[in-house]
Amino acid sequence: MPVEIEALDEFRHRIPRDPQYGMRTDVLVFASRPLIEQIRKDLSLQQAMNVATLPGIVGSSLAMPDIHQGYGFPIGGVAAMDWETGVVSPGGVGFDINCGVRLARTSLSESEVRPRLKPLIDQIFRDVPCGTGGTGFVKITPKELDQVLVEGARWMVGNGYGSERDAELAEAGGALPGADPRQVSERAKERGRPQIGTLGSGNHFLEVQFVEEIHDDRAARAMGLIAGQVVVLIHSGSRGLGHQVCTDYLAQMNSAMKRYNISLPDRQLACAPIHSPEGQAYLGAMAAAANFAWASRQGILHFLRGALRRVFGDQTRVELIYDVCHNIAKRETHEVEGRRRDVLVHRKGATRAFPAGHREVPEVYREVGQPVFVPGSMGTASWVLAGAQGAMSESFGSVCHGAGRLLSRTAAKKGRDARQVQKKLEEAGILVRSETRDGILEEVPEAYKNVDEVIEVVHRAGLARKVARLRPMGVIKG
Amino acid sequence: MLQFEILEHPADIGFRAFGASEAELFENAALALLSIGWELEGIEPLEQYPLSASASDLELLLVNWLNEVLYLTDGKRIAVRQCRVNAINSTHVSGLALGEPRDPDRHRARIVVKAVTYHQLKAARTPAGWLADVYLDI
Repeated sequence: MPVEIEALDEFRHRIPRDPQYGMRTDVLVFASRPLIEQIRKDLSLQQAMNVATLPGIVGSSLAMPDIHQGYGFPIGGVAAMDWETGVVSPGGVGFDINCGVRLARTSLSESEVRPRLKPLIDQIFRDVPCGTGGTGFVKITPKELDQVLVEGARWMVGNGYGSERDAELAEAGGALPGADPRQVSERAKERGRPQIGTLGSGNHFLEVQFVEEIHDDRAARAMGLIAGQVVVLIHSGSRGLGHQVCTDYLAQMNSAMKRYNISLPDRQLACAPIHSPEGQAYLGAMAAAANFAWASRQGILHFLRGALRRVFGDQTRVELIYDVCHNIAKRETHEVEGRRRDVLVHRKGATRAFPAGHREVPEVYREVGQPVFVPGSMGTASWVLAGAQGAMSESFGSVCHGAGRLLSRTAAKKGRDARQVQKKLEEAGILVRSETRDGILEEVPEAYKNVDEVIEVVHRAGLARKVARLRPMGVIKG
Repeated sequence: MLQFEILEHPADIGFRAFGASEAELFENAALALLSIGWELEGIEPLEQYPLSASASDLELLLVNWLNEVLYLTDGKRIAVRQCRVNAINSTHVSGLALGEPRDPDRHRARIVVKAVTYHQLKAARTPAGWLADVYLDI
C-alpha cells in the first residue's frame, strides 16, 4: 500500500489520519527528507499507521528518525494511550521488556587504555558472561528471583552487586512500582533465573568507548564527562524472562480481544483495555520483567568493574552516569492540546528524554535534562544527549534509541567474512570479541543508518540536545 | 524436498518451512527454529522429550508448537537436534524432541532466539504441499 506522507518542515512529516483505514489519529514522523526515503523502503510507516488504529490513542502515533520495521509496532515508535479508556499492548513494549542502555564513566583516559586494550577486552569477555550457551555468575534462588522482580537494581545493590548510588541513577530508580511476580509465569522465571547478569546476543553488547567530542559543556560537566575519557556502554534487556512474559500475554490478549470487541490489522498488535484483568496482569508482569532487566544490567556493571580493576588496579573508578530503557510502557502525565492527560506511554525502541526541571530527573541532572544514550553501530559512534523541552510538548517526553537498521541480518552477512570484518575494525582501532560468529557479521556498521544523521534530527527538532559523541575502542558481543 | 529456507526481515529473521504433510511441516518448522539458534552438528539425539500444543487454528498451533520447542531449549536447557510429530490435527499437536542436556562446552549457540512472532504468519496447504512462514525475534 503506498503511504501518503506530507512534509511539515525540515524534520517533521505527517501521514494524515485515514478513517477508512481505521486510523484514529495522524502519524507524526521525526525525520529529514533523506531519512524518510530510507524509512519508506520497509513496512515501518504502515506499522505506525496500524498503531494509530489502537483504541484510546492520545495525540499522534509517533515515529522517531531511527524507525524501522518491527512486529506489530515499528521499532522507534511511541504511542500514548488514555489511562482510563485506552489499551495496553505487549507488542508496543516488545519481547525484550526494558531493553535498555547504561553508561558508566571511568577514571581512565584513552591514552592509558589503548596500550592495554587487548588484555582489557579479553578480561571483560571472561568476566561479563554473554550467556548465549551457558549461564551467568549471579546465582539466585526462586524466592530471591521474586524479590528481584519487585526490587530491581536495588536488590542487586543490597546483595553486594554495586553501590546505592547505582540504583538511584537508573530510570525509575531501577525499579518500577506495581511489579507483581505472581503474574509472571513459572516458565518465564525458569528461562530468566540463570540468565540474570548476562548480556544476551543479537544487537546487545558492551562497548568500551572514549569521549571524542563535547557539544554541551554544562551538561557534560554534570554527567562527569571530559574529552578523551574512557566510558563503557552496556546494552541489554530482560533476557528469557521478559521474552516469555511478552509471549504469554500476546497469546492471552489474542484470545481476549474478541471479548473486548477489538479488531486489529495485525495479530502482533494484540491488546486489552488497561483496566481489564488481562491489562492489569500484563502491567504487573511487565513491571516485574523491567525490574529484572535493571537488576541484570546492574550485575553486568558489577562484573565490568571487577574486570577494569583487575587490569588497571583497584583505584580505578567506574561510576554509573545513568540507565535508560527503550522498550517499556509507563504511566505518565503529559499536556495534550492544552489539557493535562493521564496516559500510558508505549516506547518501543524509543528512549524517555525528560527536560531540565522535571521531577523524575535525578537531582544531579535536573538543571541540564535527563541523560539519554543512543548507541550507533559497532564501528561508528554513540551519542550522549540531554532531554529537551520539545520532547515534552511534541513526543510524550521521548526520543530515538539507536541508529536504526538498514540491512536485514541475512543481507548483512552476504559476501562478508567474520575475520575480515574483525580485521577491518581492528585497523580502525576497534577490537571485537563475540561469542557467536554471526554476532559480528549481522551487526556490521554498514547494516545501520548513519547515527549522526539520526541525532541531527532530534537535536534540531528540539527533542534533545547533543552532549557528547563517543567513539568505540572495544566491543563484547553475544 | 527442501525442508526450509530463510526469509529476510529488516531487523530480525524468518523462515519458510515446507512439508508433504502437516506433520512434516511442523517438524521442518522446528528444525528451522533450531538451526537459526544453534549449531546442530554437535547435538546427539540421545534422549526424548515430549512436546504438545493446542490452539484454535493451525497458524496459532504452529506458533504454540514452536514456543514449546523454544521453552525446551531456553527454559529447560536442552540441546535439541530435531523434533518428531506423532499426532496432529488443526487444533492439537503432540510429538517428541530428540536431543540431550545442554553442555556449554560442546553445544554452540548461533544467536539467541527471543521469541516466535505472529508477524505475517502463514501456514497453509498449496498445490505443491504444505508451507509456513514464521518470523522470529532475535
